[in-house]
Amino acid sequence: MMSSQQRSFPRQVASLPAVFDFIDGFFESASIDGDHRVPVHFAVEELFTNLVKYSRGGTHDIEVELRREPGRLAVSLTDFGVEPFDIRRAPDARVDLGARDRTPGGLGIHILKRMVDGIDYEYADGRSTTTIFKDLG
Amino acid sequence: MLDIKVGPNDEIILAGRFDASQAERAEQFLAGVTGTRVVDLGELQYISSLGLGVLLATQKRLMDQGHGLKLVNVRGHVRDILHFAGFDRVFALDSPPSA
Repeated sequence: MMSSQQRSFPRQVASLPAVFDFIDGFFESASIDGDHRVPVHFAVEELFTNLVKYSRGGTHDIEVELRREPGRLAVSLTDFGVEPFDIRRAPDARVDLGARDRTPGGLGIHILKRMVDGIDYEYADGRSTTTIFKDLG
Repeated sequence: MLDIKVGPNDEIILAGRFDASQAERAEQFLAGVTGTRVVDLGELQYISSLGLGVLLATQKRLMDQGHGLKLVNVRGHVRDILHFAGFDRVFALDSPPSA
């Protein structure tokens, strides 16, 4: 069984289909239940598009690493030459508001936090890594 | 790929995957929608935050005109995502009793 895979993707939204294919291929090779794909796709799309949109100074490809750990899947996205951004510190979105009072932004990370089972963040020397965990039980 | 169709009862059918790469095409279609319309999500397997943003922007525009979207057949992971987004406060939502 393949226990980890790593690949780099160009910093653009158009990379997403290839990122999803990479995840799906890993699910197959690591025999992970396909029911976990949607939460993982959601979290990775959110993180990846945020890096494309907001990482000032980032010109390097974005690195995606998938690891099958005991009882869980870990997915890390690493960006290079950027300022730190820890999504764990991002405020929750106001999901109690009606349509007219909603403002853009923050909703994706708010949902991501509820679809995964853990989040880690590391930053050193311009290297920014967010890891999400999904329990496979 | 996101499949956008209009059903026999004039309902809008969104099927497949509504991710960031599909948001612009969906936005163009929904920009032409007027009145109060049903959107059938029964065959929608995935929606990202950009997809949610497109639906929300459409709802705001239609509400300003006294109308709105009703989302029906909301199920599975899509139902979870809409629930976490608090979209039951934004749209009329109709889910099957069990999914």
